[in-house]
Amino acid sequence: MFKKWFLMLAALVFSVAALAADKHYVLGVDGLACPFCAYGIEKRLNKVDGVTGVEVDVGKSTVRVTLQEGKPFSEERARQAVEEAGFTLRSYSEVEGETGGSDVQ
Amino acid sequence: MCNNNHTVGLFLLVGALALTGVPAAQAAPNTFNTALPVPQGETIWREQLVLRERSDGGPMDREVSVQALGSVLGYGITSKLAVFGVVPYFFNKALDVTTPMGRIERDTGGIGDVSLFGRYTVYQDDFTGGTFRVAPIFGLTAPTGDSDDRDRFGELPRPLQVGDGAWDGFGGVVATYQTLQYQMDAQLLYRENGRHDGFAHGDETRLDASLQYRIWPFSLKGISGTPGFTYALLESSLVHRERNEIDGGTDANSGGTQWLLAPGVQYITRRWVVEGTVQLPVAEDPNGDAIQDDYIVRVGFRRNF
Repeated sequence: MFKKWFLMLAALVFSVAALAADKHYVLGVDGLACPFCAYGIEKRLNKVDGVTGVEVDVGKSTVRVTLQEGKPFSEERARQAVEEAGFTLRSYSEVEGETGGSDVQ
Repeated sequence: MCNNNHTVGLFLLVGALALTGVPAAQAAPNTFNTALPVPQGETIWREQLVLRERSDGGPMDREVSVQALGSVLGYGITSKLAVFGVVPYFFNKALDVTTPMGRIERDTGGIGDVSLFGRYTVYQDDFTGGTFRVAPIFGLTAPTGDSDDRDRFGELPRPLQVGDGAWDGFGGVVATYQTLQYQMDAQLLYRENGRHDGFAHGDETRLDASLQYRIWPFSLKGISGTPGFTYALLESSLVHRERNEIDGGTDANSGGTQWLLAPGVQYITRRWVVEGTVQLPVAEDPNGDAIQDDYIVRVGFRRNF
């Protein structure tokens, strides 16, 4: 009996964790070529509702954006944020898991 | 097509005329402006300490020593339109001069003339790992500084005052070509100085250029994220000043042309820029015994908010 309840609880925990999983996007950004400019993109993207993380890779000209599950982040919204920072969106892709999205040229 | 644009942009930049004496709060040149963006709704703050020594070759052996702080705030109204406010504060502005009474020193200080200007990006060609931009700038300098300070010898000479008492206007264009490895900026600026109480500083035309080359890290291969960049700088300023106007005439010993070179270094992170340069004259053609720059030291920082 105790084992059954334990398994049910474990299943519930994993379900909630799965439902709360973040979504990841990788943006290719043109015009980005120095660290000081990268901060502007971080700030604009962090103002998008649901964004929990922004990581700029200046050498690859890419920006990895993490959003809460269920929050929308369309290509148009990404383009708007990048353009408000003064740059140009080159590519947009949703990626799975913690890695991937390197092919965004 | 893209490569052609880059080649044209590079050519235009190298051949461009450029500069202003009103440095903006932006990553890039230390002695003048850049066309790089200020993000919409965001603010950039800059402080620059300036130590400037000037002298003439005349019998009065005039020497001018300036210690000042330039404070700049830049704000992005849109991604293309940014406005900047510049407040100079003079810790001391001193003149040493030989007179019939012997060698005397006269000095003053305080807040100088505040400038406001806008910059609008009219051309933008972004590519992977770089950009080329062109942006005109226009601004005004308000007579906020004291223009009638006195000492025990009487009213200070007008050029020594921290303010000129008049509204001045300036305008020009700045161009920037930036890649991950290096950046070039160029600026052409014309400043028309107003007249107040019978005096006007001579109008000024400046052509500036800057090269910033990343010296650290040597390579970005294997480096992810946003590492700090260290740049070596070399900046050039060609400055032509007309003669000052005094009481309806002109001062024969004022104005002229000077070319300054400025080696320097700059460390750039996501939120900070720390930088320093020394401007040194390499050629000059003063009018009469006009005072010219001996050197200008500029050190400061910029911060992203």
